[in-house]
Amino acid sequence: MSETLSAIELAASGMRAQAVRLRHISENIANADTPGYRRKVVAFEEQVDFGRRTGAVTAGPTRFDRRELPQIYDPAHPMADENGYYAGSNVDLIIEIADSKEAGRSYEANLRVFEQSRQMSGALLDLIRR
Amino acid sequence: MFDRIETLRMANSLTAHAAERQKLIARNVANADTPGFRARDLASFTKTYHTQGAVEMRASRPRHLTGASWGGSPRVIDDKGEPAPNGNSVSLEDEMIRSAEARREFDLALAVTKSSLNLIRTSLGRRG
Repeated sequence: MSETLSAIELAASGMRAQAVRLRHISENIANADTPGYRRKVVAFEEQVDFGRRTGAVTAGPTRFDRRELPQIYDPAHPMADENGYYAGSNVDLIIEIADSKEAGRSYEANLRVFEQSRQMSGALLDLIRR
Repeated sequence: MFDRIETLRMANSLTAHAAERQKLIARNVANADTPGFRARDLASFTKTYHTQGAVEMRASRPRHLTGASWGGSPRVIDDKGEPAPNGNSVSLEDEMIRSAEARREFDLALAVTKSSLNLIRTSLGRRG
């Protein structure tokens, strides 16, 4: 019983981490045209509780993509320098969309495991119901 | 009391095995995008279940370990998947198949338990 319960918890931790990732992706997409915006990336890591690996997953610290910001030529832009260039954002929409698809798939897989673990513990409880 | 009935005991072990396996699957799926994570699996039930054979040690006290049942010592094995460039070896498709297997194992064990209990009820003279 406790095994299925911890399976439920592990699946929930996966969903939580994927949701954090999706949130960062949506922030990136929303700021795709913000001048000087650096893309945020988040890496997953195994959760460590008092030095012991619990098996759950957490989203690690948010980092910025260190790729160089593209210089966009637009003399009419208020932030343009004397040569007419301003720094754009280094968000690549294609990457973000691919990333969001992957996050969605992983979320769904976790949801399936969650649902199945729940059904299993429910079936176990049915045994003592009658 | 019911531990003495071999069928029930085996069903009990199978339930534990399936639940443990489901937990490992949940762990693999949750870490499907964690860099450097290696997928794990349990050795199959038939390989790890020790039947109560003739060579079993005699236990004079209930707390003696006889090694007779599939105790809480499951063999966790590294599932030899091809790792991705970031060192992660989880394949979601394989995990889905495994979770279906675990579900089947679990349902089988519950069905056996249920019908064994019915048998006991019937032998006690009640309607199953």
